[in-house]
Amino acid sequence: MLEIIGYIIVAIGLIFMIIGVVGIYKFNGFYEKILVSSKIDTVGIITIILGLVFINGFNMFSLRLLLLLAIVLLLGPLCTHIIARSAFLGEKGEKGEKGEKSIKKRRKVRKVE
Amino acid sequence: MLYTILIVLVLLFLSTIKNLKGSSVWDYLLGINLISTKIIIIIVLFATEMQLDYIIDFAIIYALTGFIGTIFVATFLLNHDKSNQKEEET
Repeated sequence: MLEIIGYIIVAIGLIFMIIGVVGIYKFNGFYEKILVSSKIDTVGIITIILGLVFINGFNMFSLRLLLLLAIVLLLGPLCTHIIARSAFLGEKGEKGEKGEKSIKKRRKVRKVE
Repeated sequence: MLYTILIVLVLLFLSTIKNLKGSSVWDYLLGINLISTKIIIIIVLFATEMQLDYIIDFAIIYALTGFIGTIFVATFLLNHDKSNQKEEET
């Protein structure tokens, strides 16, 4: 019974990843692409690893899987944030003001780009 | 389980072809980040297929090094212009 649930969860994860890849081809701007691709990664990893935990039952093997899940969930979004930030500061921030200062100014002005 | 590995492999190539053709440097960085997370999923699926415990440790190490690598490249891309400008200013 537990295995069937696991296989269903893994299947759901794969379906979401396929839809996500379709999304990447739909969006052309860089920031939309990075949004969609980070979604694919986190959704894919959560569902597939949870599905595998159900498939393998609860033993040492699935404990390591959960450790991997925790690490990837911690580092994944952080990594895409840093890429998006360096892209934003590199392309837009540098032209007007210096990178770091532009963020401080932007906080005061609060204008939506 | 093997079919899921094949599907994820196809997803890997599909999602990175568009990124690696991208215009700016950050598209390549995004493509590499996508590749590394997909490979983690493939390693995990392979480990459950073969029921081997120690392969998950490889996935953990690969995840750590992959992410930290892209973090450093991203921060380098941000600062390497400024370092030249400082030399010009002084």
